Amino acid sequence: MKVKEIMTKDVISLNPEDNVTAALTLLFKMQISGLPVIDAQGKLVGMFTEKDVLSYILPSYIEKVGRFIYEENPKSTKKKFMELDKIKVVQLMRKDVVTTSEETTLSEVARIMLTQKVRRAPVLDKSGKVAGIVARCDVLKAFACEAEIPLKI
Amino acid sequence: MLKKFIFLIAISLGLVLLSMRIGLNAFQARAIGIFSVSILGTLFFWEFRLSFAFLGTAVLLASRTIDLEHLIKYSSLEIILFLVGMMVIIGLLKEEGFFAWIVSLIIRVKNLTAKKFVFVVSLISMLLACAVDEVTSIIFIVAAVLEICDYFEVDPVPYIIISVLATNIGSAGTVLGNPIGILIATKSGLTFEDFILKAFPLAVICLLATIAVVLVWYKKSLQKLDQQIKELGSNEMLIKLISVPAEKSTKKALSIFALTLLALAFSHRLDIFWKLEPNTVLLVVPLVTAALIMIWKHTKAREFIEKDVEWWTLLFFLLLFAQAGTLKYTGATDVLAKRIVGATGNNPHILTAVVLWLSAIGSSILDNVVLVAAFIPIIQGFQTLNLNLQPLWWALLFGGCLGGNITLVGSTANIVALGILEKERKIRVTFFRWFWVGLVVGVVTTAVIWLALVVLPIYH
Repeated sequence: MKVKEIMTKDVISLNPEDNVTAALTLLFKMQISGLPVIDAQGKLVGMFTEKDVLSYILPSYIEKVGRFIYEENPKSTKKKFMELDKIKVVQLMRKDVVTTSEETTLSEVARIMLTQKVRRAPVLDKSGKVAGIVARCDVLKAFACEAEIPLKI
Repeated sequence: MLKKFIFLIAISLGLVLLSMRIGLNAFQARAIGIFSVSILGTLFFWEFRLSFAFLGTAVLLASRTIDLEHLIKYSSLEIILFLVGMMVIIGLLKEEGFFAWIVSLIIRVKNLTAKKFVFVVSLISMLLACAVDEVTSIIFIVAAVLEICDYFEVDPVPYIIISVLATNIGSAGTVLGNPIGILIATKSGLTFEDFILKAFPLAVICLLATIAVVLVWYKKSLQKLDQQIKELGSNEMLIKLISVPAEKSTKKALSIFALTLLALAFSHRLDIFWKLEPNTVLLVVPLVTAALIMIWKHTKAREFIEKDVEWWTLLFFLLLFAQAGTLKYTGATDVLAKRIVGATGNNPHILTAVVLWLSAIGSSILDNVVLVAAFIPIIQGFQTLNLNLQPLWWALLFGGCLGGNITLVGSTANIVALGILEKERKIRVTFFRWFWVGLVVGVVTTAVIWLALVVLPIYH
């Protein structure tokens, strides 16, 4: 089975100029944790995830400080959350995106997801434009289908 | 980019020609040329410094400027191993919440006033830099300063600058504070005890002088903080902001660290007791501690080595030391040493002043490890001229650390602190906002050291 057979073709995406609050609202509405960011020319420019927003809100040095427990919320988190409305998606998104192609095999895309630690990968066509998106659940469903194991969805 | 590269090559060629003119032979001039390309590479192309170091070392070997045996000898593996050991220990302290505990100590200060804040932040910055190293310590101090300034809604820049100034001063206080500490200790034969008895008190005096300067310099900012403290009341929320659960393993980690510091402090005596070469125990202690840590936390041993040890920096140091060693191997630094002594009229006080001020000015622009690595073989060259080297080593140590305060790129601690400030608060400190206060503190503290080295007999 190839990626083109399992990917979602109608890709819902974000514009780099969208503001972060609106983008976050869309994520909540769709109940997913991330969306690709595509510019006016249809080119993939990044991936915007809930994790990017979380790491913006908490202090950047948090991973370096080591083990401790927050007993209160620092003043800065509230302030930063209020600022999200003024920030554009392009400022927070991850620019280095793991992608795949339509002809990639099922196991290969699974390998990429596992080794690159991504939940979903945009699928690019030969011209470099986004042709679809493949998520971890698509891959698992396809494996189930190949193994002829019926899943109750 | 291309302009910078042409500039780099032009300066290096200029230095080669100059060295030949002052009497260096072709081998010596070549070593100087390659070393200066590496040094200027760190100045102009910081991100590519390791590539410059790799290429420079390859050229030195291929052109037979140095042989493999000596290259390995000069790469000073003992210093690299010492730093690896210390980085593993720091990795454990981080994991066990030691640094978060330090942050909570600062933000829990009761009955806070602006002056008290400056004293506490400066003192803890200095002591933490002495105990771990400046680059690790500054991250936690900046975290604490930002939390406090956020809470009281004041501009954090003055307090960040104050903590960095104190950190750089503290980094000269012990062998652990700065990589140049261990570099100077191993090359000069000065012991950890010497550092505690002779460098630490000077660092304390420099800190007091710095506090006096910043209290005047930032008078308005301090008044503003005092006002805000009055208005917003005590820092109740800050007091309970973060906690570090006191677990058995935390206590164990702290005990290991305390024992390590103790063993380091007595390393010279243990050397004598076991009839070992000078500074052997100093290098053995971090290795033993790191080994014990990796046995204790054996499931995370690989993580300590792969994540907490900064191999990028250490490899750069290794090759840098080897290249600086080439200057000694070819005899280039002996010629330079003779020239410098000649120019100072054989006066040791003038020579001390030259080393101190040159290293201070140099380290305000260059990475201090680069500068000190270049200076060490020159100072070793003075020995052949029968000069007392002790004041010169202290001059090099303090010049290398205090010079870092002069500009905002003067030391890694400055760059780390300002990087966090920019990322967290979108505040970009301009060159001159730093420079004027940095210059005053840099000049005052360097002058204090100059006076001490000339006047006090214990430094002779």
